[in-house]
Amino acid sequence: MEIWILVAVIALLLLWAIVIYNQLIALKNEVKNAWKQIDVQLKRRHDLIPNLVTVVKGYMEFERETLEKVTAARARAISTSGLREKVSAENLLSQELSGLFAVIENYPVLKSNENVLQLQEELTSTENRIAFARQLYNDLVANFATRIESFPSNIIASIFRFRKAEYYFIGEIDRSLPVADMSARPK
Amino acid sequence: MPLTFIEIEKQKTWRIGLLFLLLLLMYFSVVLSLFLGILFFFPFYFMKTGSLVFWSDPLYIMVITGCSLFLAGIHFWFSASGAVQSVMKSLGAIPPDPEDGIHRRLKNIIDEIHVVTGQTRKIGCFVIPSLSMNAIAVADLKGNAAIAITEGLLSRLTRSQTEAVLAHEAYHILSRDCMEATIATSLFGMYAAMLEKLQNLGEEERSGLHPAFFLFWILLKLSQMLSMLISREREYRADAASVRMTRNPVAMAEALHLISRNWRGSGMIGSGLEMLCIINPQENELDESEGFWSNLMSTHPPIRKRIDILLKMVRVSIAELDRKLTSGTQTVNVPSGAAEPLYHVFDPKHKWQGPYALAELAALPWLLPLTWIRSSKDISMERASENPLINAIFTNRLNTAGKEVSEFLCPSCKQSLSETPYEKTKVYQCGFCRGVLVDNTKIPRIIARREKECTERIRSLAKAVTTDNQRKLAVKKLKKAEAQLKSLTSCPKCHNPMLRTFYSLAYLIEIDRCGFCNITWFDADELEMLQCIIENRMTATLDLS
Repeated sequence: MEIWILVAVIALLLLWAIVIYNQLIALKNEVKNAWKQIDVQLKRRHDLIPNLVTVVKGYMEFERETLEKVTAARARAISTSGLREKVSAENLLSQELSGLFAVIENYPVLKSNENVLQLQEELTSTENRIAFARQLYNDLVANFATRIESFPSNIIASIFRFRKAEYYFIGEIDRSLPVADMSARPK
Repeated sequence: MPLTFIEIEKQKTWRIGLLFLLLLLMYFSVVLSLFLGILFFFPFYFMKTGSLVFWSDPLYIMVITGCSLFLAGIHFWFSASGAVQSVMKSLGAIPPDPEDGIHRRLKNIIDEIHVVTGQTRKIGCFVIPSLSMNAIAVADLKGNAAIAITEGLLSRLTRSQTEAVLAHEAYHILSRDCMEATIATSLFGMYAAMLEKLQNLGEEERSGLHPAFFLFWILLKLSQMLSMLISREREYRADAASVRMTRNPVAMAEALHLISRNWRGSGMIGSGLEMLCIINPQENELDESEGFWSNLMSTHPPIRKRIDILLKMVRVSIAELDRKLTSGTQTVNVPSGAAEPLYHVFDPKHKWQGPYALAELAALPWLLPLTWIRSSKDISMERASENPLINAIFTNRLNTAGKEVSEFLCPSCKQSLSETPYEKTKVYQCGFCRGVLVDNTKIPRIIARREKECTERIRSLAKAVTTDNQRKLAVKKLKKAEAQLKSLTSCPKCHNPMLRTFYSLAYLIEIDRCGFCNITWFDADELEMLQCIIENRMTATLDLS
């Protein structure tokens, strides 16, 4: 009789562990997926920038430096890997972009150019999407962290070595220059 | 409690479930009462053994219950499952045009919303070809969801304001309260129509209201009240969610303000749909008042209160800006002497700038009397002209411009109006918003004189405005004009509220009139438009079908 009770208790415990484990895996995948979403949006931005540069180039003979800066920042953002480096590279790119938009404001020809306007809208939208994807990612990371740290799921988490995911912070570069907020809306 | 978008998606609040159940119950009893009504009229088909036996026989009760459940189920399914399509069709909404810049922007914003919700729910978007200003969210049992926005609203909002409005609507869809409202609308909308017909029938036959119909009516009223009770609180929640997404409470507040000042589309948007809109299409006193009764009956909270709540959130976003500034560069000199207050200013691009000292403020070219400012000392936000210190800047600007300053104040900017020649006579103009104050006796003179040319811009503007106003007027006539809302402007001379009215029924330009002083206030361009209309004999071309 006692044996059966013991077996039942162990079976229940095992079942509970499996459920918790599966929940943790689901959360982890959600986080991963959200990170991919950010990547998709970042890539979208990388693809848009060359178009903008080619359209703008002809009009902006004297602003070669600004354009080169944007191109260089883009190249750097594409080549880096790893969360921290990536974040700082992307932040730099955002900053250079808003610099470019500020310059465009000074050229009435550009400001009324249909192509530029359209690209500007696309980039604004992409900036927003990046910000929103980041918001979603951070929300999910927080969810995951809560689950890992709170009792009793923390027992399972520590046995199977679940690690907290890193938040997507706005990096140091960004803080030093308040203009380059990721949600900055150039227009 | 701030909710993340994931939580909203997962949240299945028991309260909403309960209300939904209640709605179903209402439905059930309405059908039951209908049955009883029929029984009352045609007793012989059903009862062979007298009414006493009928009431006690469980078989009859069961048959009625089953029938009404069946009917309710069918009706429920048909009215709720394809609601998105039918509502969009009834509004004449069309999908956004990919060739059109503004429509492309709408599509982009919807995609942005998809990103923030983690692509979990597809939301369609539609444009309603109307000059009115409103937005509507619809979701149905099939899982379709759509947001429709009127052309008038879409064109008049800036990008960040559109974002705010769409995020508000998206919240309604994500939190499922939209689905519930859609269902409630499609269910009770039908009953309302039925009841109206029955009442008409009763009047023709002069038989008065039948007791069964009276019961029916009470149930209908109750169910309406219930669905309205759902509505009011969630508007606040949706506003909050919108701010959480866009981080821009001012955009939302401004959008609300803009919508509330214009034609919201009453008459165009069917009366059953008001709970789905961002703002009630019918202006009524009930919506704008507070207290127990109006909380119970009205579908939307007072706009003033919604705007107030939003503006209070601004405090948070300014605190963030401050932190960013102080933790970063040291070049921003924060004067330690607390003697002079610093001001944050909301610039035309919807970003907070600052803090500025008073002298710096004066140098900002885009600072206007209606710009939002917030001083570092107290919490509330105000228009620049409401602050006496900053107001001095504008007075100073007027003085340096060298214009003659009159004793009258502009009703919206609160700045002195200056005497300006116009068509060889004198009018008072505000140097900031370009509005004009004219003596009533001078208006015919101005209209008769043709010195000032009517530009293309004014012409097209006048055309749009008259068409819009024609529609507004038609709707008002149809609805037999409920009480006028209180005017927001006060007379520059006697400070009594001015009456917002049309110049005349033939020339549909809205103006503000003071009945005591015989003067008229024209907002910017309104006087030119009036002239243009009369000179060119422009009439509104609108078929009211």
